[in-house]
Order: sequence, then structure tokens, then C-alpha cells
Amino acid sequence: MADAGRLPPGPTCRVDFLRPLPFTYLGRPVTGFAGDRVASALYASGIRIFSRSLKYHRPRGLYSMEGESSNTFMAIDGVPNECAEMTALRAGMSVRAQNVRGDPRTDRFAFIDRFDRMMPAGFYYRLFHRPYRLWPLFQNGLRRMAGTGVLDPRRGLGKDGPRGDGVEAEGGFRAEGGAGGGSRGRMGSGVRAERYLNADVAVVGGGAAGVSAALAAAENGLRVCLFERRGWLGGHLDWRTRDFDGVALHRRGEALAARLLEVQSRSPEIVKVFTSSPVTGVWGENLVTGFTVGTGDDPFRECHWECRAETVVVAAGCMDRPLVFNHNDRPGVMQVGAAWRLARTYAVRPARVAVFSVGDDLGLEAAIDLAELGVEIRAVADAREAGRQDPELVAALEERSIPVLSGWAASRAIGRRRVSACELRPVNGAGSRRFQCDLLVANAGMQPRIGVLASVGARLAYCSHTHSYQPIELPPGVFVAGSMTGLRDPRSIEASGRLAGLHAVTCCLGGAQKPAGKGAATGGREAKATDRHAAASVATARRAAAAAASPRHDAHAHPGPVAGCDIRQGPAIGRGAKAFVDLDEDGTYKNVVESARQGFDVPELAKRFGGFGLGPGQYRVAGQNLAMIMAEMRGDPVEAAMPTTVRPPLVPPSLATLAGPNHDVHKRTPLHGELAARGAIFRRAGAWERARYFSEDRACRDEIRNVRRNVGILDSSPLGKFRIFGPDALKALQRIYISDMRGVRHGRCKYSAMCNDMGQLVDDGVVVREGENDYYLTTSSGRAGTTVEWFRYHTRYDGWDYNLVNLTDVLGSLNIAGPNARKVLERVTGSDVSNGGFPYLGCRRITVGDGVEARCLRLGFVGELSFELHVPSSYCRYVWDLLIEAGADFGIQPFGLEAQYCLRAEKGHVIIGAESEARVTLTDIGMGWLWDREDTVSKKVGAPALRACEKQSGRMKLVGFRVDDGLGSPRDGAVVIDGDEIVGYVCTTRRSEALGWQYGMALVREGVAGRGGRIHIRQEETPGRQEPCTATVVPPPFYDPEGRRLRS
Amino acid sequence: MNWLKLRRLWRPAPLKRHYDTVIIGGGVHGLATAYYLARNHGIRDVAVLESQYLGFGGSGRNTAIVRANQRTAENVRLYDEGLKLWRVLADELDFNLMFFNCGSLLLGHSEASVGAFRMAASTHNLMGVHSELLDPRQCAEVIPGLDISDRPRFPIQAGLYHPPGGIVRHDAVVWGLAKGAAERGVHIHQGCEVRGIDARDGRVVGVRTSLGDIACNRLGIMAGGYSTAIAAMLGIELPIHPLTIQAMVTHPLKPFLHHVFSSTAYHVYANQTLKGEIATGAHMDPQVNYTTDATAYYLKHQAEALVELMPALRGVRFMRIWAGLADMTPDMAPIMEGDLGWGGLYLDAGWGYFGFKSGPVAGKYMAEYMASGERPEVLKAFQLKRFLENRYSGETAAVMKYGHWD
Repeated sequence: MADAGRLPPGPTCRVDFLRPLPFTYLGRPVTGFAGDRVASALYASGIRIFSRSLKYHRPRGLYSMEGESSNTFMAIDGVPNECAEMTALRAGMSVRAQNVRGDPRTDRFAFIDRFDRMMPAGFYYRLFHRPYRLWPLFQNGLRRMAGTGVLDPRRGLGKDGPRGDGVEAEGGFRAEGGAGGGSRGRMGSGVRAERYLNADVAVVGGGAAGVSAALAAAENGLRVCLFERRGWLGGHLDWRTRDFDGVALHRRGEALAARLLEVQSRSPEIVKVFTSSPVTGVWGENLVTGFTVGTGDDPFRECHWECRAETVVVAAGCMDRPLVFNHNDRPGVMQVGAAWRLARTYAVRPARVAVFSVGDDLGLEAAIDLAELGVEIRAVADAREAGRQDPELVAALEERSIPVLSGWAASRAIGRRRVSACELRPVNGAGSRRFQCDLLVANAGMQPRIGVLASVGARLAYCSHTHSYQPIELPPGVFVAGSMTGLRDPRSIEASGRLAGLHAVTCCLGGAQKPAGKGAATGGREAKATDRHAAASVATARRAAAAAASPRHDAHAHPGPVAGCDIRQGPAIGRGAKAFVDLDEDGTYKNVVESARQGFDVPELAKRFGGFGLGPGQYRVAGQNLAMIMAEMRGDPVEAAMPTTVRPPLVPPSLATLAGPNHDVHKRTPLHGELAARGAIFRRAGAWERARYFSEDRACRDEIRNVRRNVGILDSSPLGKFRIFGPDALKALQRIYISDMRGVRHGRCKYSAMCNDMGQLVDDGVVVREGENDYYLTTSSGRAGTTVEWFRYHTRYDGWDYNLVNLTDVLGSLNIAGPNARKVLERVTGSDVSNGGFPYLGCRRITVGDGVEARCLRLGFVGELSFELHVPSSYCRYVWDLLIEAGADFGIQPFGLEAQYCLRAEKGHVIIGAESEARVTLTDIGMGWLWDREDTVSKKVGAPALRACEKQSGRMKLVGFRVDDGLGSPRDGAVVIDGDEIVGYVCTTRRSEALGWQYGMALVREGVAGRGGRIHIRQEETPGRQEPCTATVVPPPFYDPEGRRLRS
Repeated sequence: MNWLKLRRLWRPAPLKRHYDTVIIGGGVHGLATAYYLARNHGIRDVAVLESQYLGFGGSGRNTAIVRANQRTAENVRLYDEGLKLWRVLADELDFNLMFFNCGSLLLGHSEASVGAFRMAASTHNLMGVHSELLDPRQCAEVIPGLDISDRPRFPIQAGLYHPPGGIVRHDAVVWGLAKGAAERGVHIHQGCEVRGIDARDGRVVGVRTSLGDIACNRLGIMAGGYSTAIAAMLGIELPIHPLTIQAMVTHPLKPFLHHVFSSTAYHVYANQTLKGEIATGAHMDPQVNYTTDATAYYLKHQAEALVELMPALRGVRFMRIWAGLADMTPDMAPIMEGDLGWGGLYLDAGWGYFGFKSGPVAGKYMAEYMASGERPEVLKAFQLKRFLENRYSGETAAVMKYGHWD
């Protein structure tokens, strides 16, 4: 601890000097200690300039210790824009400054700072566009100057997979998450975790108010989740050593925290405390989200969580309101909280000599405390008038001979690269005093952290007592407590927390503030509390809340919200110096004036025009000040101005943390392993992972040939499979299917289609009658998930009595197709599968192997003799093995979706989405024969549209074609032209080995080509490379047009 | 030193009791229409009414992507003209719209997407609009950092590269058009909410607003997602579903992504703004609503998608998320109509995803339509009656469904 930058560790110190952590800054070795933030370690080692600012390349230093601006954004281990104030120090870190050319102390672009006159707000909108041909040059120049962090886009693309944020492999964490990722061979789950919580009361903020609220709720048996962004509870009590009622404040905070932690260890199901867990937002229906930064004990690096809560207590505390004055961005100008916590939490000496310019008693207390720690305080300016301060603090300052200048504020920081002196002036009036110092601690008083409140939907308004934005209307179930309401006395803060906790209890247990329509009680509590118990709890909580709110109670015995500080900006602002309203985007006071002069005179417009509050700090630095300054400029009362909308996330989460383990939720068929073992290449299709190819040949020649010549086997398990039964089942079928379904027979498949209200084809499949009012039906794989909803929706007013059961996942489906299909099937079943006993479009229950009962459908989608076996999913592997073994002599081979796609296209069978689209109806694609146009009573879905379109001309129609030899061979998507006009496109086209020519189907405008006519096809994948060809219209099916093979 | 003279971009004008033409909606479409009415047709007695502030709606909430690689010829023609207008407008308005002509790359992750891209590229190139079908390796050459391995759950199969596309500073377009319109005499009224429309003898004769009644001869409804509610004041039911669509930006980074990329399988588009942020979006809440609430779900979804497509983004942080309204028609093509059963009434709405990129060109033709009363040829594909006649535009191949089943 020989470090000159350090103070002796006091009772509130969070740094462990016994555990040094070596790291590098710009390649130079530096040592910090366990418990340090990167910024505190750097500051202790003498680093004052942490970065250069976005626009003017001004030196920037440590400012808030809360990540409120991008001043201390650095590249850490190659990850850009890491906030050094918030990042815990780890051994071996490599830290670099951002937005600098060369050394941050002597940045080569620092000269830009002198050209600010040339860059008034929005100057780029009025510059660079004339002559236009030069704009790309300027544009690239602007781009290069913009942004701060440098990202290598190739990072994470190596063989090891995505480890792009650089820190995942370190720290002894296991690199694969247990659930989800690893077992399925996917990379990148890394050490991110996610957690989904629910609670009766979610408490945002673990200071005195939040902890008190949590205790009050927990004592009443409610389940509480408390989220605190720092690594410990206690809020601002944590680093305050001032004596209060005979006890140091930090001891008071520790005692309070200990009580809650004790409840947590006793009843972990009641209280869950999350530290190092910033809240990113409170969204609709009280969904509180955030993330937890893992400590060494956690199995994750960061964990994203979401907590659905019945009620939310917001006790997010306060932060410094920045004081806008000349050169307020100089390294050495620091917020009160930053200087104080550097000293007290991290045992870092903030400076030798300091001057304070504050607007709140906490600032005075900090000045005394730093003096106590050996920092020489030259003066304390307080923007409030004399008499508004806590007399005890003023006396303590005077006792130490520190001049207190009431009604004064900092007007200027002096020093080029860091503060060497400062100038103070009266807020109203003349005169100035200059003090030498290497630290200027400045704020304009405190402001509540309104982020959470704004994100939860509270209505805020300016409060002219606290001079801050306060909620005037809270959403149901949301309560606010603590110093953010303007309270400063610890007893008041605790009482307000307790009161908010009790209000939450009353609300949860059915009290008056319960929002209408919300669920009666949450499950967890219901399980624990009987009705009588609940009633008793309500009564108790109501009494307690009423007592707490009564004038005799503590909350009112203690001091209420203290009067705030209304200073808008430092005295003598401007005068050739920059005063920053927004640090991230270098938005100055002068820029605000300039924006207003150009018509952008309300905060929302100025924000967009001048970029105030658009940088990483978002609303936190600019928010309240911008509103107050603009109100003054317009001559409006300050109450009229509203700060710009606060947008989540309130604390920026990394994409890796949000993505978490990134679970793959695609379904796999029961045969996935078998297919994989045979070399299947999978693609995700809808909800499923499906085998698309079985070799690298994307034309699937072997697979297709084998189906045409021998026999192929397809895992068609994702096929939609349903049973519909009940007295009105047939009525429902009549409504949904476009054909007459009354003739559906036992033992025979009826093929039909479903249309939507526009007459477009949305689904097709077969229906089989299995009993009295009992049918089995199949749908396309992609639609299976919506079929039940579709039936219900289109019969919703009829009151029909039927049941529709989705069997898609419980039944697997195996399709054997090819001339040898029957021979294979005969070997595994004793049932009659002869052509006479089981003809084309038949449906039988057969028994295969050792008594597995299967629905067997004889269909012909691929144009060959084919049997589809629907068996319970658990038997799929058994049946697969049977068929593979039985088919060995007949050349059985699996085939995938692509082969099926080609095989069916040769038959002219349509696939929805491939040969149909939004412009065409069922009749347009040649399937009008399915439509029972006589039926006017079933109200078939789509029938009116089909009728309306029937006589229209100029619609697109599906045509088959044969590509003329010699010119070229088009591919899917080539367009059909008529002269210069595009009149259609090729849906599917393949060269067929079986046919010996290239066939295809195209959607073309009616009349462009009739049967035997010629169509002109053009393909131009890159400009200038035109590939024209012609084709002759041939009606499908192309292969086996008489259908002999599938009937054989 | 012209840029150092700071003047109001548009002067507040007194609210008159009568205007020749009133346009509802102070976004890109409304302002562009007003601008072109004044510039091309000499109709300067125009008021643009905006209930909030200029650019409050979709114009200020989109991700500023412009392109002309639509699916069908009639759309390509319109968007291509729109794309060529940005540089013209920057000069005409004397306002830098910050058109960054970076080109866009649409990624395909399925066999079907290859065919769809081939169709698009063939259509575009035949119409003189530059597009190219790329294989995955070429995609990675255009955008280093894309993961073209088979690690992602939807491996990249193809790309549709469209060099004429890019991004434009969306707010600048709003402000520039406002400036241009105001300079030509158009009155812009912010904070003026339309509460009713007056019609007599089959013609619209005025609007009732929060600032008083205004008489007019012609009325244009160009209020984006809010158009349905305004049309409903005259009993007109539009086949438009307003859905909430969200977008977000990351912390600013030095330029490394020099193109727009998008993916339908991952439901994401992304570009790097001139300020260095990665602006990304695409998701629409599936249910009809008028809120502009962002959701936690979508922030997470977007992260999941982006880290698979470009793993280097894992360490990048999201800074801000917001939402706006997309006015979706069943075929994802707009409605530009002057035949609504009320004389003098015009509608330009239903742009859905495409409202920003089409703004100036739509305004140009709507101005022509409103000035002449004759429907311009290029607008014939965007009539309202196509929905009644069941003749959908082919802008989306898929059969769309929003809100309920139709």
C-alpha cells in the first residue's frame, strides 16, 4: 500500500489491498486491487485523462463513478465502449483509451477543439452537400470522426466459434452452459445465463428505502425480489461515516441490510436479493428486467433476468445533477458522488487540493469528509442562499476554516488538460474569486434517477420545492420511496420505504389500490396463505399502512422532502468557453442556444437536432438540465418544460448477455439421430429441423434416382396429423375444406385444400373417415401449428360440437416410395398390402413388426407407389430399423426434403408458397377442381372470393413448361417476359433425369401463353449478364401423366 | 460561411381559417406532398397539420434505410425513382439529408430464398436497377464479420446485394422538406390535432382541430399509422392494421459496417449510422395496437439474432430502444387514393415497413394527383379497390396475416 494515490482503507472501503491485481494500461503495467473498478485503479495510479471527446477531442476524465457518460469508456481486452467506472477490475486486463490518436494526453486531433465556431448545432445539415459530388468525401470523413470504440468485425469468427466479447474463456468459467446449448452441438452459449423470476413485490434499489420496503413486504409473507445495481446494499449510506443518532450512517445501513439478508437466508423462497444487478427497464404489466454481473462465485459471467411482479417499489435513489459551467468537462471536474466514493469506497485519494461547488447538503458533508481524509478543501460554494444549509454542516466546515460561499457557484474550470484552478462567482451578482486546486467537485444539487419511473409509465412533473421531476401519477401497483422523492433524513427514507412496502402488501392482498382486472393472487402466495390468513394479513397491512400514513407516525415525525437547488447553469456562462450540457456528444450550452434559434426550441426537437442525450449516457447528464435551460430560453416557467422521453435500456446490457444461452427451440423428429447417422444435412423449416440432403450433391440425383428405380424412405414426421370428432365434425370440415367432404369414406383418403378468405391456398392434405363422426386428417408441416386455431376461428359463431386434437408430435410418419415399396412393406407386415386389397388412396390399419399398429396411407405425392406409415413417435425408430433392414435387398435409401421437392414437381404437385402466392387463388393455380362450387350452405372459407375472381381477366395463372433445348437453362426465380414487360416468374424448374428434359412451373399473366405456346424466360443475376431462353407450355404432370406408377 | 447563419428552418405561421389544401400529418409524406404542391403545381395555400411535433410518428422512428429492391415491377419503378430523389432534394432544399449510399445486402437462409432473390435480381436488372445474387462467400466479402459457417441455426445461403440502397438521416428529411415547403408559402402547424372532418354534398369542406376549425377545398390524409382513425371520421374503413414496430441502437463505434444488412429468417435489419451506432430493428408486435411501447422480449430477440449473424457484436451494448406504428395492408403495398367517395379527399397510407423510403416520391405523385385530380399512371397499382376485387399486389410472396385471420 505504498501507492501515493491511495488513502488508508477506512471502515467503508471495498478494496482488498491484500489481493493485488496486475493489469495493463496502454501496454504499461499497472496494479490495482480486488474490489477496484478499472477507473478507480487507473485514477489511483495517476491517470487523469481517460478518453477524448467525440467531436472536439477534448480530454475527458473520471466524472461520475456511475457510468453516466462516456468519459471513461475504454477498450478492455479488445471490447470497445466498456465503462471503466462500472467494470470490476480483473487480473491481466488490457485497457486502452478510446477516440485518441496517440497518447490521450497529447491527442493529435486535439486541435479540433479550436474550431467549434465553425461547427454550430446542426452545421452538417447546412454544409457538404454542394456540390453533391463532393459529399461522399465529406461523408466518409464525418464517419471516420464519429463513433468512439473500435470493433474488429472478424472477432469471434475463428474456429473456436463466437467468443466475440473476449472474456468468456477467462476466469475459470466453463465455456458451455449446461442446459440447451452444449448437448446440441451449438456454440456460443458460453457463460451467459438467464433467469425468469416472479414476485409479489419487486423492489428496484437496495438503499435504505428499498431494503425497508422489502422487509415490510417480507414480514407480511409476500415474495420479494430486490434488485441493486451495486455489489452491496445500503445505497448512499454505504460510504457515509457521519454520525447519526450516535451511530455512523454506514453502520446503520449495514444493520438494515443485515436484517434483510438474514430473512433471505432464513426464507430464501420469500426474499431474493440480487446485487450487482442493474435494472434495464420496467415494461408492460410490471415486467422488471435487468442483468446480474457475476462475481467469482457465480457460475456465469452475466445473467439476464426478467421478473414479473404484482407490484413494484421504485427506490432508485438520486444522482448528481451536473452543473453546467465553463469547461465543466475538464479532467479534475467531478461529481460529488464520484469524488466521495473514490475516497470512501475505493480508498483512492481524489486530489491534494479541492474546491467544492454544490447545491445539496450531501455535498457539504462530502467536503467535510474529504477534509477529514486529508484533502485540502480551499472553498465550498453552495448555489443555495445562506440559511438553506444544514447549520451543523456549515459549522463543521467553519470549524475547519473552510470558507462557505452561499449563493455562489463554479463559473469556470481553469487548466488546459486538467484542472489547475477554478473560478467561483455569485449566482446572482458581480464579483469572482479564484482558487488553485487540482479537483473541482461540482454539482447543481441532486436529481432523482427518474429512469425507472419513466420506464414504468409514471407521469412526471416539475416540483418547485425539490426542483426536480417528481411522479404526479403512478401506474397501478407501483410505489415510490426514498431519497428520489426529495427525502434526505435517513429515518424519513426508511419510513418511506416501509410505507411503500406496506402499500405494496395491501395492493397484493386485495387492497384498495389493486388494479382492476388483474389476477386475484399470485400462485406462490396462494399456496402458503389460506383465505383466512390472507384476510388477516390484509387487515394487518392496512392497519400498518394507515398507521404509517397517520400524522402521528414516524414518517411524519421525521423531516419531509428538503428544498432543492434551482440553479440552471453556472454564472457568466459562455464568454468564449464551452460549457457542456451533454458530454457524450459534446453538446454545449451554446449549441442549445443555436438549436433554439433554428426553431428547435423544445427538448424533444433539440435532442434530435443537437444530439443532447443521444449518447451512451442518454438522459442522465443532459435530461433535467436541458429542460430547465430551454424553458428559460423560451421565457417559459420551468414547470412548463418536460425532459425528453427516457428510453430503455436504463443501463446498457451487452448483446451477449441479452442473447444468453440463445436456446434453439426447433423440434427434432424421433428419427433425427438415425438421419444424422446416415449423413443427413439438416435445415430448419418452420418449427422443425429437417433432413434436406443426404449428400453434398444439391441436385440430389442419387436420392431421386433411387426413389424412381428402387425405393426411398422419407422421415415425414412433421406432417400435420389431427383427429376431429364429435356430432358437428363434418360441418366443420365442410366449412374449412373447399371440397365436398360429405363423401369421405372409411378406408379411403380424400385429398382436399383449405383456402383463406381471399381464396388463396393455405393448406392441403387428406381426410379419412375413421368412425361415426370421427375423422383423421393431415395438413402441411408448416401449418400444423395453426390448424386448430384456424378451425376454431372459422366456426366461432356456430356453437358446433366437435373436438380437434393435434396429433402431430405424438405420431411420427415414415414414407416409403418407389417401385419396390410394396416388397419392403410385405416383409414387415402380415396385412394385405396388395394392389387389390390396398389400392391407391386407400387407408388401412396395419400391424408391423412385433405388433406395432400403424395407420398406413397409400398416397403418391412423389409420383411412385408409396406408403405412408403413421406410428406413435416412440415406435418410429423401431419401424425405421425394420424398414431399413427389410429394404436392404431392394436398395432402400433415405431421401430428404430437396429430393421430395423435385420428385413432386415432376408430378406437377403444388407446394404452398412455392407455386402459390398472394396474387393467386386456388383456381389460378389449377386446383379449382377441388372446389365444390355447388355448395352454398356450408359457407366454405374462400368460396365467395373464388366466385368473385372466377370471371376476372388478367390474373396470374400457374403453367407448366418444358425448356426449349439449346438456349439456356433457367433456374428458380427467373422472370417471364413479354417484350420488355415482366409478366411472371418461374416458381420451380429442374432438369429431370427421368424425363430427359428440363421441366418447370411458372406463374404468368393469363393470356401470355396457352397450351403449346411459347414463353420467354430471362434471368439476370448480375447486371448485364442476361440469360434468356424460351420454353413451351406443357400442362403438368410431366412425369407419368397417366398416374400408372402410383396406382401400380 | 452560409452554414454559420442561424435562422429558423421554418417560421411559425398564423393559423388561417381557410386553406386551399389541408394535409393531415407532419411526417415525410405530408410534408413532401405539401412541398411538391407548392413547387411543381403552384399551390401554395397549403397547411400541414401535425398533432405533435414534426416527425413525431414513423418519420422519426424508422431505421432510415432506403432501397429500391422491391419484389414487383410496379413497386420497383416507384421506389427507384424515390431513391434517385435524395440527392436531388438535398440540392433543391439546400439541406444535407446525409444520404449514405452504402448499398444493402439482404441475406437468405433457405433454398427458397435463393429463388426469391433470383427473381428479385432479374426483375431489378431488367428494369435498370442494380441488384446481384451473391453466394455466402461473396456475402462475407461485402460484409466482413458475417458468420457464413454452418454454426448459425439458419446458415446463410445467399445474398441479394443492392448497391443503390443506403441510409438517409430521417430527421433531416423531415426538417428539410418543412424548410422547403415553408419557403414556398406552406403553413406548418405543430400541436394541431384533427378531431373531425366536415363534409357537405359529397365533398370535404374542412377539418375541426384542437386549434379551431379550418375550411379547405382539398384534404390529404397522410398520417401514417393514425390514418385509419382519421379516415374513420368520414366512415371510411381501410384495410390497414396499425402494428407496433420497434428499433434500437447500440453504443457508437468507429465505422466497421459499411452496408445495410437484413435477414428475413432472423427478422432483423441493421446498419451503422453516420454517428457510429448500429441501428437495428424489424420486429412487429403481432397484435393490432396504437401504442408505441417497446418490449423486453424484442430487445432480447434482437440480440439473439445479431450475435448469430455477426458474432463480433457480442460485446456491443444496446443504448436505446423505441417503437413506432407501421400501417400494414394485407399485401404490404400502400394505398394512394383519390376516389374515396368524397370529393376533394385524398389518402396516402398503408406504407407499413416502407413509409420512409417512399416519402418524397409518394409526395411528388400525390401532389400531382391532388393538383390535377387525375390519377398518375404510376399510382394505378395502389388503388384501394384492389382489395375489394381480390387483386393483391405481389409485394409480399407470403400470404400475410395480421391481428385476425384474413
